[in-house]
Amino acid sequence: MAHKLMEEVEQEAEMNMTPMIDVVFLLIIFFLCIDFKILEAKLPAYLPKDRGSQTTETEPVEQLSLKIVCDNWGTKALRQPDRGATNKDGSPAAFVLNNHLVHWMVGPRRITDDKVLITELKKIADDPSRRVTDPKTGEKKIMTVVIEPGSQTTYGDVAKTVDMVTVAGFVEINFGGGAAAK
Amino acid sequence: MSKHGRSQELDMDMTPMIDCVFLLMIFFVLVIDLSQKEMENLILPKAEYAIPDEDPPDVRPIINITQDGRFVYKSNTFYDPAEHGEDFSKAGELLSIWKDTVVTDTEVVSLGGSTMTLVNDPVLIRADKWTEWFYVGKFMAACATPDAAFWKLELAMSEEDKEAKLLRGLQAAKGGK
Repeated sequence: MAHKLMEEVEQEAEMNMTPMIDVVFLLIIFFLCIDFKILEAKLPAYLPKDRGSQTTETEPVEQLSLKIVCDNWGTKALRQPDRGATNKDGSPAAFVLNNHLVHWMVGPRRITDDKVLITELKKIADDPSRRVTDPKTGEKKIMTVVIEPGSQTTYGDVAKTVDMVTVAGFVEINFGGGAAAK
Repeated sequence: MSKHGRSQELDMDMTPMIDCVFLLMIFFVLVIDLSQKEMENLILPKAEYAIPDEDPPDVRPIINITQDGRFVYKSNTFYDPAEHGEDFSKAGELLSIWKDTVVTDTEVVSLGGSTMTLVNDPVLIRADKWTEWFYVGKFMAACATPDAAFWKLELAMSEEDKEAKLLRGLQAAKGGK
């Protein structure tokens, strides 16, 4: 009997490892998921003070100006007329613009057709005499295009223009003219 | 005495199961892909020539600009023309949040005698085909300020003309009636 009691006491003294394993798993998941990069970026760092490394003046580089001009804003029509003028949450329903017209100005030249614009842009991109010198590398490269959307132009007009500029072979695209007026 | 002992042995210990369930819950909460929440229901302009985005970068905050000019990020509206009018400071606040918590690739540069932190991670601008460029331009202007210094901007386009498809569907439905 006494021997049995001793065995029971020994069994009760065994340590339950389950909670410890749970906690270890939780810690593993936590450290796997945490993004250390963000924490590293927030550490205070004392960077060397800038002494003005770029004191030389750079020559302005020629850029191609491409303006988008709205000829006719068009008339608004509901995109899904059967749903009414507002959505279920009360927000204004989406619309389309009928007869929305734009033209482009490549430098002084007025262009109204997409295909003519691509041809004109390709001609400029392929012309070796219109290459400019890269101020960083000193090598000749295709000039940068500056797209200048005018007032009443839409995201669709600009995205389409970017698409055409890219297919013509231009690599660097900037946006100019400030934010277009409403 | 022995009967009592056997009935105790049959008791089921629920603790490990609950532990496992909690672990699975934590795992799925952390791993679940919330990227779809970043996309508002917009009809993008059709790309005629652009190449599809086969391998999008890991870090690329997405801003949605709706037809009525609202700036929406992860279903939260940061700027609403009806509420904020000409005050676009909310766009700056959003960019500041991105700079502190979202982007990872930054670079300290010196320009014109002052230092600024350039963000090399791209920003994807999604706007409806008929959104006025005015609002997109204002967001881009906010990106270009020295405090924000997001210089790599991408414009989202669609592979198919969803608007034409929608209008064709409506016409077909009318014809069917």
